[in-house]
Amino acid sequence: MDVLDLARTQFAVTGSLHFLFVVLTLGLAPLVAIMHTRHAMTGRPAHERMTRFWGQIYVINYALGIVTGLVMEFQFGMSWSGLSHYAGDVFGAPLAIETLGAFFLESTFLGLWIFGWHRLPRWLHLACIWLVTLTAYVSAFWIMVANSFLQNPAGAVERGGHLVLTDFGALVTNPMLTMALPHVLGAGLWTGGFVVMGASAYHLFRRTADREFFTGSLRLGVVAAFVGSLVTVGFGYAQFGPVSLFQPDKFNGTPLAGLGLGFMILIGQLLQALIMFVLLPTVYWLPRWRWAHPILMLITPLPFLAAILGWLAREVGRQPWLVHGRLTVADAMSPGLTKGMITLSFVGFVGVLGLLAVVDYLLIARTVRRGPAAVTLGADGPADSTERAHALSL
Amino acid sequence: MDILWTGVFALLLVGYFALEGSGIGVGMLLPALGRTQPDRDRVVAAMAPFVLANEVWLVAVAGVLFGAFPSIEGEVLSGLYPLVVTLLVSWILRDAGLWFRRRLDGHAWRAGWDWMICLGSYGLALSWGMALVAMAGGLSGPPIGLPGLGGGLVVAAAFAFHGWTFLSWRLPGQVTGASRTGGALLASAGVAALPVAVLLAVLAPWLLEHIAPSATLNVLSVMILPFAPLMLGAQVWVWRTFDPRRAADRIPSFF
Ligand code: HEM
Repeated sequence: MDVLDLARTQFAVTGSLHFLFVVLTLGLAPLVAIMHTRHAMTGRPAHERMTRFWGQIYVINYALGIVTGLVMEFQFGMSWSGLSHYAGDVFGAPLAIETLGAFFLESTFLGLWIFGWHRLPRWLHLACIWLVTLTAYVSAFWIMVANSFLQNPAGAVERGGHLVLTDFGALVTNPMLTMALPHVLGAGLWTGGFVVMGASAYHLFRRTADREFFTGSLRLGVVAAFVGSLVTVGFGYAQFGPVSLFQPDKFNGTPLAGLGLGFMILIGQLLQALIMFVLLPTVYWLPRWRWAHPILMLITPLPFLAAILGWLAREVGRQPWLVHGRLTVADAMSPGLTKGMITLSFVGFVGVLGLLAVVDYLLIARTVRRGPAAVTLGADGPADSTERAHALSL
Repeated sequence: MDILWTGVFALLLVGYFALEGSGIGVGMLLPALGRTQPDRDRVVAAMAPFVLANEVWLVAVAGVLFGAFPSIEGEVLSGLYPLVVTLLVSWILRDAGLWFRRRLDGHAWRAGWDWMICLGSYGLALSWGMALVAMAGGLSGPPIGLPGLGGGLVVAAAFAFHGWTFLSWRLPGQVTGASRTGGALLASAGVAALPVAVLLAVLAPWLLEHIAPSATLNVLSVMILPFAPLMLGAQVWVWRTFDPRRAADRIPSFF
């Protein structure tokens, strides 16, 4: 592989890793916020346990979302400085707005939510998780604005060899954005719903102590997945309009793009039929049908797979352009980038993040397996007596 | 507008050093101040509620760099490539240590991640020092060298001092054996931020020269400045909520 291929592969792999965690974050955040709302309104311990259990899974997943996101943010300048030179005056704006107007707040409020259990007043604590959810969605909006600009550079004209922003309204109403954003958010909800459903099916299948807990969770997961699937599929087909307008040959150019698209749609169609015609109508009895639970567990990873395939289709189909029709990926590569440099960062980023991703998924699996009783998020007493003495002084 | 956004950029970068400098310092001192596992747990628990709110300042720095100084962003990040890689990998390892250390019960697991926190914190401090020196030299020399190492040690010492002061403020008379007031913490934040503040003062003309055109800056202003009070308010809320005088709860830490 030459330098360009390595830099592209590094971006593709770290980007896919990032999205695997982000898609679940986007889906779980509103579900946890809803659980927390029920807890705040009723004060019932069952709702508190639900919030803390699914909340812990949400935050363990979030950890990898952050660290992979850091690499994404810095990689533009490291490997693709030609992009900031040519289009930075336009492309940089949504990214700057995302970090300041969304992620900055999301991270601050998430810290308050995680460490604010039994410390913040009830309604303020609840406000934190809703603000985290809201800012996560705002974040997704600005990132998709930036990505859609690469797909179709709306709102900018070329002057003096680089792009300048002329129409901010056109940038944020880019037709490549308006259908894609709901598609992605729907995919997130679908993924979150499936994780809740699959994890609940595991406990029901194992006949663990928390039967009632996971009966409720499984139903919630199916309903969330149903809503998510309607949005995803609806806006998925709606995307063909703008795509055929702006990038007519997108899925014919390279086999990979067409393959990604085809398999995403296949997964989407089959699962949506399953949810709509089987899981949703039987949602009342489903928690009791033990034979069905292994199937629910098996299909849990499929939305993740579909989401990665979707990004493959969207991004590979854009090649060889970085900014469609304006700047090629090859021309955007940082001038001084050598094979040694990119190899170093490839090993560092892909190796470290890949390992951490595996560890993170194992930790999520373990949190699921040990069930609500072992959750540490928001626990209101020290875990063991040696810690008690010290915790008193904190 | 040009001056405003240069100021915002400087504020965020100085803020990052002043705030996250303490977290990095605490991480560096972790094995020294926490000889036993329970001691290390207390040290980490003391910094834990602030980490997310502090480290996000650097994410904001990168965002403003891209939005308001796009030509500098590409030049600096690709010019300092190996340092940016070590900085990011260190940051990742430090954060992974914090998030993962309590997720399994075994002693070796937690002790191992504590070493990652320490290693990552040293990596962050040294990479920062070297990056500042390379920036001061106008990115002309090789990014890693003897003067850079000197800069790294200076930044590491400043962060360690700030971290020590933070712990003496948050856990008075405990792990460090000393107590420090909020005023002392402010002063040590100044020490931690001094190197980068000096550099920014020197580089200000260069920054102003490379700032994005006014159409871009206007958009940034309209979209971001209305949220500034909320951003600052949220930060203040964090420091009020986890102030040592209020934090006398009996809560096990999540990190
Ligand atoms: C019937 C089902 C589906 C249809 C018709 C559909 C359609 C599309 C189309 C046309 C694109 C490419 C847009 C472009 O290249 O600009 C796309 C991208 C994508 N799809 Fe799907 N999709 C379906 C199912 C799914 C499912 C089940 C998921 C995940 C749960 C998913 C996640 C994504 C993602 C993350 C992208 C990339 C971002 C975007 O363009 O929206 N899709 N989809």
